[in-house]
Amino acid sequence: MWKYVKKLEYPVNVRHKELTMAKNLLAQYGGPDGEWAAAMRYLNQRFNMPDERGKALLTDIGTEEMAHVEMIATMVKQLMMGASIEELEAAGLNAQYVEHDHALFPVDAAGVPFTATYIETTGDWDADLVSDMAAEKRAKVTYENLMRMTNDPDLLGPLSFLRQREVVHYQRFKELREYYKQKYNKEDQM
Amino acid sequence: MYNENGNLFEPYQGFIRGNMFQDLYSSFGKVYEIKPMNEQAELLTYIDMLDFACIDLGLYLDIDPDNIQMIQLYNQLREEKKKIKKQYEESYGPLTLASKALEARPWSWDETPWPWEV
Repeated sequence: MWKYVKKLEYPVNVRHKELTMAKNLLAQYGGPDGEWAAAMRYLNQRFNMPDERGKALLTDIGTEEMAHVEMIATMVKQLMMGASIEELEAAGLNAQYVEHDHALFPVDAAGVPFTATYIETTGDWDADLVSDMAAEKRAKVTYENLMRMTNDPDLLGPLSFLRQREVVHYQRFKELREYYKQKYNKEDQM
Repeated sequence: MYNENGNLFEPYQGFIRGNMFQDLYSSFGKVYEIKPMNEQAELLTYIDMLDFACIDLGLYLDIDPDNIQMIQLYNQLREEKKKIKKQYEESYGPLTLASKALEARPWSWDETPWPWEV
């Protein structure tokens, strides 16, 4: 089960309305390598990890990803606060407004809705962990691109934190995979 | 094969970087300090920091479960966090549904701000 803590993992206080950044940040909300996808991927894959270490790591990283979902949602919500219809339209968020008003909805930066195929799960620990490592790398690149698109320290602080978490998660998945390769004598082969 | 653990950041330095492990840290631009706006935010940042250190050390321990030193440090941080959390909740209301601050009337879970509204 899960228990809620009524705080963010890292503080988010965005004080400026900036709709283009709100739209950009949706990449990490409902995008293929976004935080919802990551949370669901690991929390789904954990049922098929072959031993206790894998079950623990995927549970704990998956849980942390839910805290990252909340940070991204907070940033998007705060960036959109008080936006008029004209402002949303000018930022290319007219379709968002028509279907969802100012509400959060898991789409990517281009407005493509979240889909379950992002939750890559094969039942094979090696295939899953390789895909998890790649997903962390891709998310890191996305955070770097997002950081290049803003000068606001209110956004750069949390984005830099989230980028670094991808680095750490990548490393832990990699260590788990190395450990499993030794434990289960699996060579790097197709 | 795994990190040697003599290489940790102090909790605040690790927290603002998003990484407790110096040898694993990957820099990208500057490091952003956290500037709490009032006393409550300052105490909450201290909890965030301890929470974060536990999260990061916990992931490490998941795959290096025999690291006694790291387990000791984890539990030290966990005890400190428990103490500060209690102190925070006494002044500012519950962070979880397990808080003693929920003895207050009216129901205090509704009283504290949601994290995206702080």
